[in-house]
Formats: sequence, structure tokens, C-alpha cells
Amino acid sequence: MTHRLTRSPRSSAALVVCLALPGLASPNPLAAQDAPQQVPQPAVPERLAPGARTEPAPESSQAEPDATGPAAEAPSDPGVEVGADTSTAPPADATTVQEQGPPAEAPAGRDPRPLRQVGADWPYWGGGADARRFSPLAQITPDNVGGLERAFVYRTGDMPSAAAEGKYAAETTPLKVGDSLVMCSAKNVLISIDAATGEENWRYDTGVPDEAIPYSASCRGVSVYTAPELAEDDICKTRVIEGTIDAKLVAVDEATGVPCEDFGENGVVDLWTDIGERVPGWYAVTAPPAIVRGVVVTGAQVKDGQAEDAPSGVIRGFDAVTGAFLWAWDMDNPENADGPAEGETYTRGTPNMWTTATGDEELGQVYLPMGNSSVDYYGSNRIESENEWATSLVALDVTTGEPVWHFQTVHHDVWDYDLGSQATLIDYPGPEGEEVPAVLLPSKQGDLYILDRRTGEPLTPVGEIEAPTAGSVEPDFISPTQPVSEWHTLRKDPLKESDMWGFTALDQLWCRIQFRRSNYEGFYTPPSSDRHWIQYPGYNGGSDWGSVAVDVERGVIVANYNDVPNHNRLIPREEADARNLRPITEQVSGGDGGSNAEGAGDPQAGAPYAIEVNAGWRNDITGMPCTAPPYGGIRAIDLATGETLWDQPLGTARRNGPFGIPSYLPMKIGTPNNGGSVLTGSGLIFIGAATDDLFRAIDIETGETLWSDVLPAGGQANPITYEVDGQQYVLIAATGHHFMETPTGDYLIAYKLP
Amino acid sequence: MTYATSAAGAAPPKPAGSRAGGWRIAARVVSAVIGAIGLALIAGGIWLILLGGSWYYAIAGLGLAATAALLWMQDARALRVYLVTWLFTLAWAFWEVGADWWAQVPRLVAPTVILMILLIMIPALHSPRANRLGARKETP
Repeated sequence: MTHRLTRSPRSSAALVVCLALPGLASPNPLAAQDAPQQVPQPAVPERLAPGARTEPAPESSQAEPDATGPAAEAPSDPGVEVGADTSTAPPADATTVQEQGPPAEAPAGRDPRPLRQVGADWPYWGGGADARRFSPLAQITPDNVGGLERAFVYRTGDMPSAAAEGKYAAETTPLKVGDSLVMCSAKNVLISIDAATGEENWRYDTGVPDEAIPYSASCRGVSVYTAPELAEDDICKTRVIEGTIDAKLVAVDEATGVPCEDFGENGVVDLWTDIGERVPGWYAVTAPPAIVRGVVVTGAQVKDGQAEDAPSGVIRGFDAVTGAFLWAWDMDNPENADGPAEGETYTRGTPNMWTTATGDEELGQVYLPMGNSSVDYYGSNRIESENEWATSLVALDVTTGEPVWHFQTVHHDVWDYDLGSQATLIDYPGPEGEEVPAVLLPSKQGDLYILDRRTGEPLTPVGEIEAPTAGSVEPDFISPTQPVSEWHTLRKDPLKESDMWGFTALDQLWCRIQFRRSNYEGFYTPPSSDRHWIQYPGYNGGSDWGSVAVDVERGVIVANYNDVPNHNRLIPREEADARNLRPITEQVSGGDGGSNAEGAGDPQAGAPYAIEVNAGWRNDITGMPCTAPPYGGIRAIDLATGETLWDQPLGTARRNGPFGIPSYLPMKIGTPNNGGSVLTGSGLIFIGAATDDLFRAIDIETGETLWSDVLPAGGQANPITYEVDGQQYVLIAATGHHFMETPTGDYLIAYKLP
Repeated sequence: MTYATSAAGAAPPKPAGSRAGGWRIAARVVSAVIGAIGLALIAGGIWLILLGGSWYYAIAGLGLAATAALLWMQDARALRVYLVTWLFTLAWAFWEVGADWWAQVPRLVAPTVILMILLIMIPALHSPRANRLGARKETP
């Protein structure tokens, strides 16, 4: 059975990687559309001229008194580096960072802005500004969900050209604002459609060329911002802002799609500025930017595995109205806060943020799930700042671009365990039992952490486990301990020989032999070169870019996850050269560099080893997965206790079968999955994500699937729900995912009750 | 099960009826396939044992190889030997992974298919006792 499905695991892995793209932080702290006036006018947009830096968090610029508290402490503590030794006790991971660089001029009116509410609208990529992927809408219920029918199907028209075949993974999640849905297509065409009928209002093609496609053509979403300082009828009063895979920030008028002339150059800011040589496909934004207090914050995907000398992982802030550069956070060089010196670039090869950040209007912070350095699988030559900040959740003060705290989820990462999931804002009991502002962070390793978002201190228990170093090519670099959540993890027990799988005893035997021949000491087995090593969980997670969803009323976290290993080997440079593994800088443009699974023969130029990843660990002879199903699941977790409420395989075997022939078996097998869920006030979970191309509704109380629809392409996208004229809609993009090996499409499908 | 074949033209010089012609070809084709699987399992299984892994595959491979040899000779003991191998597989499979049905796929599906093929092959087999009664060794 399952030839196909086996493939999926790999795909998921790959996708994880790919996903690693950009960060979209959708939260627009903006005002509700109709109430923008109430926002204190940002004092002086002109002060935000490029290069101007605003003051560190503190004082007057922050309206919220308690916001100033913790955030302000950091700057008052210059020079203190707390907990730099991340490999020790958990609390040490939450580091209070000193103020970096000289204080600049006074803050230019960076006050908290009113938030848009999730409900009738879906105003941020993660639903509300808190990114809980929860909507209070309750018209569709467990009792009537069986009657859901399609309201409309909209096609974006963005399908791969022959050259881009096999590189599409649009991962589209629209926003719903007013009567419209706004979104970006795989190659960054901005589109607005009527939320009730699917009729197109406007589109604006940003003109992204095929050669800009990094691992995947993906645009997870856009952000919407209403500028309080503009007059009500000004064009671009409310604007749609997206980052593109050719590394532009683009702003257009929300109502008409016309580029915002006041933003950058005719609506465009070039993110290649100060990054270095333009190599199409190496530096790409795939996630919506976070917009906090009128500051657009973005990182970018840096295509994995190419070279040590790679584009910087710098995080930058831009004025949401003018597009003016405000600050940069270059982890290795605080002096670059105002941009690098003439002729210089931001520090190259540093950890990047490809996924979606979360804005915190109240505290004036943005939470960045950071990835790993370039390159992923070798670390001895990394610089100290990289070891300090990589794979951490970093809280930046959005008014200054300076870090307030960070929490590291893996030390000296050599597994591509980027943080891929958008963090979620919740209130959670602190040490004294009082509710404190908190942030929920899922990881690819499957761990769920809850941190005080003022300080980064864990609110749930965090442990430090011993990690194996045997077999490593760089045992001195491998961290002897690693953090784990003692509160909840999605991770399963380590693999055993008897977990090996196949279609017959023969392929199973081959996998068992591979298992015994591989370097494997359980979780965090270090990379090896003399023989393969088993990485479990693989780089797809755990939790990836779809992240988790949280219903605080019911007190439930819903987490879908992958459960697949990777089978990897470091390839000595000589062998890599013999195989002609070349970095992106040496490839012919338009080549097939992006079409393989991420890590499946990546050069890692500059490191002594290239890397070969068998994502999902498929049998090299049959293509079947070497491990038994399930390959993915969905789980409900008690938010108060961290206990599992229910856990089910996610995805049926209908698209899988021997020799790739769909079996149409309705049996749950649990496929790899990518894309998150949406929760409703009525207790429903809507999710696609799995490789069976089904979009389904699940009862949050029981885990039972109550309804499903067959999508015309893969549903690897986060769905949304919204309301128009009293009618609740649920919508998912069926756009497919090359790494998940689901059919490519350009569909947005909305459902409603008859 | 009944060894339908044994009776008939069991013995003498020229095997006739169900043991000849098409059935003989079928038995040898199936024998070759099972034999190849058995040898692969023995080779891989020994490798796995040397790596410190499960002994099941080498043992099952021996069962299959014996089955194949007997089947080649159209000896009805092929079925008995295979039944023992299949029951051993069943016991091992449940011991190793219990009622995890997806995990049972590689453990039980193919062995059971082979069992069914062997049951279909019954007309091609003759009992060794019939040989003895026939007072001669089979020498086609």
C-alpha cells in the first residue's frame, strides 16, 4: 500500500524545509478599519527617514504601563549578558540582552495601535493579532457541519510555467478585511476578491521571475495596515503589504490594488539592499511581515545548504507608511543597526527567519522564530553570535530593533531544526498564579514551550537532557545537553529496529539492515559521515509553519504534526565535488537546483562536508518509507496541564497505494502534513494539510472527523473562517505542495451552510 | 488439507495427470520465486544477525528455501513446511508489534499471499508416502 504514502513523508520533510521561507507575521496591530482615528497619530513620519533609529522601548512612547516594565529593563542593563551559556539550565536561555548601539533620537510616536478583531474578519495571517488561529464564529457547528457546501471556487491563475514545474507550494492563506479577501499567489501576485462571491476586485502582478523561486514558490500571506496619519479618503489609507520571493516589500492600496506611491519607490522597497550580490532564489520572503506600531518587520528565507558565505539573516524594520528603513537587527554586529557601512553587507551566513513573526502591539515587541545559520549541518566554524541566537525565539523591541530577550530551543543546531511555527500570544498563569502575558512556542522537535513574553522566562517546565555526541565529525561542537519541554512534546519514542517497515519482508529487512548500520543513539544523534545517521524527528517536525491553534475558552491547543525521520549523511568535500554538488552561485539559472527535496545533495560550500538528506527516510530501492505509519497526526492538548486530550492520525490512505496507484481507501493512516488548522467558537477544527487532499472538520471534543471534502489539489495551507452578511464561511487554498507530492493547483475554495 | 494429488498417478515412471505438464511448470515457477525470496532473506537475515538485529528473517528464509526445494520436487511436504514457517511468522509478528495493523502489513500480507498460492498448488503436489508406495524415487 503505500507506495505513495511513503513518498509523502519525504515530501513533508522537504516542505518543511522549503517552508522555511520567510516570515510572515501578519499581525497588524492596526486599528480597526473604522476606527483609525482613535489612534494617536504617529508623530512625525518624516522622522523615520531611512537610517533614523527610534529609541529603545522605554518611556513615553509606550502607552501601556506594564509594557514598559520588562521591556524597559533590558536597556537599563547595559552590557549585561545573561545566560549566554545556553547549553545549561533552561532559565538561562531567556536572556536579557543589553542595549546595543548608541541610543538614537526620540521615538517617533511609536505608540500601540488599535488591533483589528478576528470574527467577521480574519485580519491577520494567524487570525487575530494573537495568532491563535481561532475565530469566535459559531454558525457552523458540529451538528450542522455535515451540510457544508461550496460557496465559490476562485482560481488565481498562478500556475507553474514549464521551468517552474515541481517548484510550486503556494501555501496561500488570505486575509479577510471588510468585504474582501486579500492574498498573494505563489509568485506574489496580489489579489483581492469579494469574500462572499469570489469575484475578483483587482490584482497587481509584482512581476516575480521564475529564477527567483527559491526552494518553492510560496507566499504564505500578506499583512494589512491602516495608516492613522492619513486622511480617511487617502489612497493607501489602508494598504496591503507583502514580501516577495525576489525580496521586495510591496505595498498597494487595499481598495484598488494601486501601488502606494508614498511607500518606498512607487510602492516597492528593495530588500536586497545591503545583503550582497543578488543571486536570484537565494534570498526570498515567503511569509507575511509583522506590522507593529507602524513598523513593518521582516526577515527572509535564505535557501538552505548552499554555502557558508550566504546572505545575512538580518531582521529589518521599515515604516509602514513611507517604507523608510528604520533599523536592522544584525545579531553579530549591533553597529549595523542603521545599516552597514558603505560597501559592506550585513553579517553573512547568520541565522535567518523565514517563517511568520508575531507582533505584540501592547509590549511593542515582535517575536521572531529564528532558523539556523548557513549552513545547517556543520557548525564548528560558526561565530559566537550565531551559536547564541540561532533557533531561538527572539523578542525584539520594535521601536529600536534591539533584542529584549531570547529563548533557544536547540543548542548548536546541526539538524536544520529551524523554528518554523509562528508563536501564539496567550495569557498564562505565572509563578504566583496570576495571569501574565505569555507566548506559546512549538518547535520542529515537537516541544511546546510557554514563556513570559515580557522576559522570556519559561512558565512551563523546561528540562535539559544529555545528548549523544558519538559518531560526530565535530564532537567538540556538538552540545552535550539539549533543552526539552517537560510540559508537552509531540515527539514520539525513539525508533527501534522493529519500527522499520516496507511492503514486504524484503524491503522491511533492507530497512532493518540500514537501521542497524546507521549511527543512531536516539533524539539528537549528531551528523556523521562514515555512515548514515538517523534524525528523528526529521526536519519537517513536529510542528512546522502551519503552527498550532489555541482555543483559550475551552483551554485547548490543537497541534497537527509530522512523525517522520530523515536518513542523512555528511558527504566529504572530495566526494561532493565528484558528484558535482555546486552552490546556487555556481548553478545555471533556471536549473533544477530547487526541485529536489531540501538537503538532498546540498553542497554546503565552505564547510568540509556537503549534506545528503533522505527526507522521510524512504527505502532507496523501493521508495517505500522505511518506518511504519502513522507519518502525521493531530492532537488536542489541555492548555492548563499540558496533558493530551486525544490524538489521531491525520490523513487517509486514499491517495496512497502500491506503485503510486491511489487506493481510495478511507482508512486513516496518518500522512505527513503541512499547514495548520483553524478553530471555531462552536468547537470545530478545520484542517487540510495532509497528503490525502481532503479538507475536513473535526470535533474538538473528540477528535472525530465530522465532514470532509475532496480538494482538487493539495490543501497545504492554513484555512480561515469569516463572516459576510451574517453568513459564516470557511476557506482553504488548494494549491498543492511539490515536496508533499500533492497536485499543484490555484484554487481557493469557500464553504458555507446552504 | 487433503493431498489430492497423492493418490492418482502418483507413482510410476511417467508422472501423469495433475503432476505433469502445466502443473509442473507452475510448481517450478512458484518454487523459483519462493526460492529466490528465501535466499534473499537468508543472506540479508544473516547480515542482520551479524549487525545484532532480528533472527526472524534468516529463519524464515530457511523455511522458504526448504519450501521451494520441496515444491520443485512437487513434494507435498512443501505445504507442511510452509505452514510451519507461516505460523512461526504469525507468532513472531504479533510478538513484535501486536495488533498494529499497519505495522503488520510487511509481516503478514506477503507470507499469507504465498500461503494461498501454495494452497492453490495442492494439485501439483504428491505425498512422499505415495512415492514410497510406488517403490521408486521420482525420476522424471
